[in-house]
Formats: sequence, structure tokens, C-alpha cells
Amino acid sequence: MTESAREFDPETAHPMVKEVMERSQQNLLACYQCRRCAAGCPVGEETGYITPDRLIRMIILGDRENALNNQLVWRCVSCYTCGTRCPNDIQTARITDTIKKIAKEAHLDPLKPKVAHFHDTFVNSGIRWGRLNEMEFMSFFELKNTLKDLKRMKFKAIYDELMSKTKLGLRMARRKRMHMGFQSAKGRGEIKRLYKKTKKKTV
Amino acid sequence: MDIGYYPGCTLHASSSLYDVQSRRIFNEVGINLKEIEDWNCCGATSAGKVDDFLAVAMPARNIGIAEADGFSEIVIPCSACYSRTLVVQKRLEDDPLLKNQINTELAKKIQGTIKVSSILEVLLTTVASGELAEKVSQKLKGLKPACYYGCMQTRFPYKVPVPDDVENPQGMETVLKVLGAQSLDWNYKTDCCGASAAVNDEEAALNLMTRIMKDAVARGANCFVVTCPMCQLNMDSYQDKICQKHEIKERLPVYFITEMVGLAMGVSVEELQIDRHFVDGSELLKELNII
Repeated sequence: MTESAREFDPETAHPMVKEVMERSQQNLLACYQCRRCAAGCPVGEETGYITPDRLIRMIILGDRENALNNQLVWRCVSCYTCGTRCPNDIQTARITDTIKKIAKEAHLDPLKPKVAHFHDTFVNSGIRWGRLNEMEFMSFFELKNTLKDLKRMKFKAIYDELMSKTKLGLRMARRKRMHMGFQSAKGRGEIKRLYKKTKKKTV
Repeated sequence: MDIGYYPGCTLHASSSLYDVQSRRIFNEVGINLKEIEDWNCCGATSAGKVDDFLAVAMPARNIGIAEADGFSEIVIPCSACYSRTLVVQKRLEDDPLLKNQINTELAKKIQGTIKVSSILEVLLTTVASGELAEKVSQKLKGLKPACYYGCMQTRFPYKVPVPDDVENPQGMETVLKVLGAQSLDWNYKTDCCGASAAVNDEEAALNLMTRIMKDAVARGANCFVVTCPMCQLNMDSYQDKICQKHEIKERLPVYFITEMVGLAMGVSVEELQIDRHFVDGSELLKELNII
């Protein structure tokens, strides 16, 4: 469970909420727990008791452990319903995005490794060639998942994943929805150079 | 009239039918979609989860290219690409320092003055001018579409001007009315299909798609109409799976709005590539004597 406000410790709470507010550019302190976000969250049923308002509360209380590792952060589908309906314009999807990055920097194992792999692989593929090649991207993504499952000896999971993705692949191929060609952007170096520059600055 | 065009990766790959259709139907109303040169991936929603700077830099380069190519407007049919590009344009307008920083490496510098339009916005201008109505040769009588907007057409992670009603958009309904189809009122038009969760968190995504499907069926819809290639692929390719699991007898074709416009203009199913759907798209059209 989350920590109680009675155990609030400003020493630990302030750095956490400050970091999240700065990086997400969202004013978490404006949340007055009306729970309009919770009512509209489409994955509310999948995230246990954690809805956007709960996540914001955890961060304000400095409950770092639970804030960095919960179902909402990893199952948020970025539909932006919470932020669109929030009377104080707090976009929680940008908070869950920020938390994902903080958790990665802290070398925490993501609760949903497939979600983390997906986004990492997507961006890597997009940057590598300047354009996303669906087949290349999906191959890397599946490879990463398989390796992770192999390490944990989850053979049944590997089999199920292979079967379901092969089935989907075949159905896509039959409808010519599988793209075998290759696409790239010649100027992709511009983005790579910019990215390198910013990395140097922050390190 | 020439207008800048950003197809995005998907329209050059699994949803290339949407690319073909978009070019074809706009050509019909005298709008020439000119693909901007050497565009790159917009980063979609993934970039924001991995690196804040990349999430801005990736779409930013495309804005610079479109402006340098001399366009005053760019149309982006894919909802995710549209959302990312619109958001980044506004972010750079609000943060000139960031804009300058990005411009240092770009061969084609960003001004930030171009109009970023969704496919609906451009279609609606042809509705307003009457040009679309002039081209309609085949009314889509009998179609009862559930217009499905998904997330990215009306909800944004940043304050941008939204061209339609956020909770109850009417853009597709307005276009379809000109084509002779009466859209239905329903509850899930702006709900999420799960997008990439279909691949990385299937259980969550299938639950979302089930709710959307059930409501459309309960309202008596006989098809979906969408603008987003992700919504199209998800609702189309996973429909059998969710319907079998929840004992839903109906199957609803998931049409792109461009397919509706094309059919009403008399363009053939083959040319529009409607045969590339998972749920058969031709059967219903034959039943209703549209083709």
C-alpha cells in the first residue's frame, strides 16, 4: 500500500515531487483529488487501485518506491483522457512518461518489461534509419522479449508469444499489410547529432 | 492547389492503402498532396517515454523541411504523427531557446509558422467550399457508421488549439453526411483502442477494444470509420479474436474516412485497396448496392 500522509517526511518528499514537476512540466500540487481522471481512465480496471490521482498523491508524499513501480506507470496507454478532463490541466500521461524515465535511470526492472522494450526499440529503430521499418522493429522487439524470457526459463511464454506473433504475421502477409521493403531518411544524422549534444550537456 | 504532405512510416508500410487513398481523393477535389522531402519518423508516443529531447527534435526536423519546401500548410493523415507534430510546433513556439538549439543542426531551419492540419481539417474545407459535394456520384445509403476518432485527433499532451469538440467530435460525421451516410451516436468514439498495447500488453488492449466493439454493435452500427491507422489496424486485425471470446456474432468493417470519400466519388474497391482489410470490406458494400 501507499504511505500515509501521517508519515510524511518533507526531507524525502520534496526532492521527489520537485524532480517530477520539473521534468514533466506538470503542477502536481494543483491536484485536489477530485478524481475526474480516475473516472475516465480506460485502463483503470487493469491498474489495481492506482489511478492518476493516487499516483500524484504518492509522488507528493515522496513514496518513491511505489511511485516508480506500479501498474499505472506501465499500463498507461497515453490516451490523454485524464489530462484533458483535469480541471487543473494536469496531464498525468506526462507524469507516467517521466516516471518511466526516472525508473530507467535508477536501473529498476520495469513492472512490464515488454512495454519498456517496445518503446526503447521503437525509438532506436526510428533513429537508426530515420524512419521506422516495421519488420526490423518487431524482430528486435520480439528478440529482446525472448531473451528476457529465456533467462527466466519461461518457455511456455516464449512458445505462446511466437505462436501468436506468427499467426498475426501470416494474417498480415495475406492481406499485403506486411511491409518487406526498407525505408530511411538521408538526413537522419541531424537528429543523431542533436541527441548526442544534449546527452553531453546533461551528463 | 499544392499542399505539404507528411505520410509517416506507417503510410509507407502496413497502411500504405491509406496513402494511396489520400492522394487519390484529394487529387479529385483539386488538392495535390506533395510529399515533403526526406522526412523522418515522428517518434510517436514512444519517444516521449524514452527521451524528452528526442520527442521534440524528431517532429521538429519535419516542420523545418516542410517550411523550407515552401508550404504554408501540411496535412498529416496518421493521427499519432499529426498529434506529435502539432504539439511540437506549439512547444517550439513557446520555447524559442529550444527552437534555436534544434535549429543549430538542421539544414532546413524551423520558422514555426506552418499550419499543421489533420486529414479531417482539409476534408472539411472541401465540405465548406462545396467541392466535395460536387464530386459525389454514389451516395453511401444504408451505411450506419460508428465514427471512431480514438485518442490522438482531439486529445493532446500539451495545450494546442483543438479544431473539433474534444469529447464529442463531429468532423467525420460532417464529411459522411455529404456522402449520404447517416452516422450513429455512440459512447466510445474517443475511447482508446490500446494502440501499441495490442503488442506489448495484449490483455489491456483487448479489453479496451471489446468495449468499443460492444457499444458499436449495441447501437446498430454496420461499420466503423476511422482516421487513425493504428485504430484501423487494431480494430480490424483483432476483431475476430475479441468477438470469438465474447460471443459477438457481428463483424464490422473498419473503413478509413478516405475509403468512404473514395467510394462516394466512384473510385473502385480495388483502386482504394479495400481488399487489404482483415474484416471483409466489400461484402457490406455489395449488400447495400454501393458497389
